[in-house]
Amino acid sequence: MKQNSMLAMILAGGRGSRLHELTNKVAKPAVSYGGKYKIIDFPISNCANSGIDVVGVLTQYESIQLNSYVAAGRRWGLDARDSGVFVLPPREKADVNLNVYRGTADAISQNIDFIDSYSPEYLLILSGDHIYKMNYAKMLAYHKEQNADATIAVIEVPMKEASRFGIMNTDESGRIVEFQEKPAEPKSNLASMGIYIFDWKQLRKMLVADMKSNESSHDFGKDIIPAMLADGKKLCAYKFKGYWKDVGTIDSLWEANMDLLDRNNELDLNDSTWKIYTEDAVALPQYIGPDAEIDKAFITQGCIIEGSVRNSVLFTDVKIGAGAKIIDSVLMPGAEVAEGAVVQRALVADGVKIGKEAKVGSADSEHIELVSKRVKGVE
Amino acid sequence: MNKALGIVNFSGNHIWVEGLQPYRPIGAFSFLGRYRVIDFPISNMSNSGIDQIQVYIRRKPRSLAEHLGTGRHYNINSKRGRLHILFAETGVEHDIYNNDIAAFRENLECIRSATCPYVVIAPSYMIYAQDFNELLQTHIDSGADITLLYHSTDDAKEHFLNCNTVNLNKQKGVLSLEMNRGTAKNRQIFMDTYVMSRELFLDLIHKAHKTSSMYTLADIVSASCEELDVRGVSHRGYFASITDFKSYYDANISLIDFKTALSLFEDEWPIYTRTNDSCPTQYFEGSNVKNSIVSDGCLIEGTIENSIIGRGCTIKKGAVVKNCVILPDVTIDTDVHVENVVADKHAKITHVKEVVADPDDPGYIRRDDVI
Repeated sequence: MKQNSMLAMILAGGRGSRLHELTNKVAKPAVSYGGKYKIIDFPISNCANSGIDVVGVLTQYESIQLNSYVAAGRRWGLDARDSGVFVLPPREKADVNLNVYRGTADAISQNIDFIDSYSPEYLLILSGDHIYKMNYAKMLAYHKEQNADATIAVIEVPMKEASRFGIMNTDESGRIVEFQEKPAEPKSNLASMGIYIFDWKQLRKMLVADMKSNESSHDFGKDIIPAMLADGKKLCAYKFKGYWKDVGTIDSLWEANMDLLDRNNELDLNDSTWKIYTEDAVALPQYIGPDAEIDKAFITQGCIIEGSVRNSVLFTDVKIGAGAKIIDSVLMPGAEVAEGAVVQRALVADGVKIGKEAKVGSADSEHIELVSKRVKGVE
Repeated sequence: MNKALGIVNFSGNHIWVEGLQPYRPIGAFSFLGRYRVIDFPISNMSNSGIDQIQVYIRRKPRSLAEHLGTGRHYNINSKRGRLHILFAETGVEHDIYNNDIAAFRENLECIRSATCPYVVIAPSYMIYAQDFNELLQTHIDSGADITLLYHSTDDAKEHFLNCNTVNLNKQKGVLSLEMNRGTAKNRQIFMDTYVMSRELFLDLIHKAHKTSSMYTLADIVSASCEELDVRGVSHRGYFASITDFKSYYDANISLIDFKTALSLFEDEWPIYTRTNDSCPTQYFEGSNVKNSIVSDGCLIEGTIENSIIGRGCTIKKGAVVKNCVILPDVTIDTDVHVENVVADKHAKITHVKEVVADPDDPGYIRRDDVI
């Protein structure tokens, strides 16, 4: 297989601290989503499906699990010759001391040698913690067509939410004229998705300069993009239509899972032309017991259901005891709910056990309850 | 344990599963929605530390070869281990000479060149969990020439009719192998599983061929019981033999009971299969599913009771699926009622609104059929 002209680098070093205990031990891209996936399966599968052969994954925070997970490139079919998923944590080099990645741009700068070894024409920068399906080959075609120096994928967000995002202001041709990070009074509703295509040679020069700067925070959004705009470079916005979610909080992670219950959900994980690949769990098929009740649910292998499940998403190996009720909830891999317990509007973390007849969550809470520790039941 | 070469044998000419077998060998049959029958013997070997495995295919190799691939999903060491797919050269469907001995002879070099001192031979058409390492140790400790695995049943009058039984003396010595003709309730069903030295195995292949071109491995072992020390070891736990259509249906349905399933599936004894990368199953509003096994990738809106649903099936609104074994990628359309039926891969039931068979004589819907 011939090596693609575009190499992808996935930024997966962030903790995602607003996910609280879920990211105590793993980085946000390693958080489970959608029954059987991890968030990072999405960008990696997108790369694989877009015909990108080499993917670098930049890890930093609590990276052990993520490192071993993404290193098995076979999972996404990225294991041919000249192909692979490479884990890139900060490392000590002959001429520089070990430095943590100081920002998103610095993470790329510290791996210039890795990128150079493939001599790509284009570099694709991705976030490891977004859920979406996207064909990057189409974005590259657009980048070439526009003859752009950089192309940034954008998505239209509701105007009232625009101040939460990095907003791109464009002219009629789609060229970016201004970039505003979380503007109080946004001028447009085109939010940056954190997906960039650069001409590698150009970006390389800028990164080398940026590394030396003391004022820079070494961040794409804060430093590199504004510098390029100031330089009069041609930056184009590539409009993406479809499902895209940045799951920063427990509420939004819950919501993104709940979206899957919608019959017409845009993410459509069942699309056989754009499969999302993930770890192959050794598990039984789903066992639905004689007295189980299932009404609107997204359930995967290894689950054993003897109670009732309504409007909920159940991940691999979840067990629901007889008479237990699961309502409007998300149960992560290996969670167990004992007989007669009630779980409502809650997100139960990996492997957490909820005891007999215990009650967690409530129907009218403002936020989704995160259950990350064992809940004792009636003995 | 690389003391033993694992050999997965195919079903003989006396076994024929109506409906499904014309399309593929029994080892490639879908089982419990997400497995294939052959996943069980290969996982048993892999879990027992056997990483030199030969799978013999007599006919219709496509689906089996596709499923087995490189064998990586069976957790076999990718450098030192090997899953070797070997073909019976004639490949003729009803050729009475196309038997296991002929296949072994065809690939004799591969058996000769193996370095393991023992062979463990298991069938690709029976479902059970067994630690072959333990069985081999029993074999070595006993000093027997051949060790056979059997399962005691009180149900031999109506079931296991195409299987052999082991005729044992009081010391568990095997006197002969005899076809089960349903004449008695209590029988020791031969699980077509053998342990012996590789040297003896090669001898038997030679001897069988010299005796008759129709002789199978079971025939020659049975004929050798007098001169060799052949012993039986009793198997405990779940056992099913897929040797006719009803037994295929029954084996699937029997495992819906979770307690029964636990006698086959144990945490320390994983059953591996090939991933299909399907997404989880979606149950829509109004779905009603009870006492069933459901695989991933399904869209379910109707009623399912006491059934097995394969990967990627669609059960539409108002549909009722009862006591059925539904193979992967089947569609049961709106308001269609199916009961006591095996629906083969990719079938679509849409025009006929009711397919109800006798529970003692389950129906079969052909692969790719649109009815």
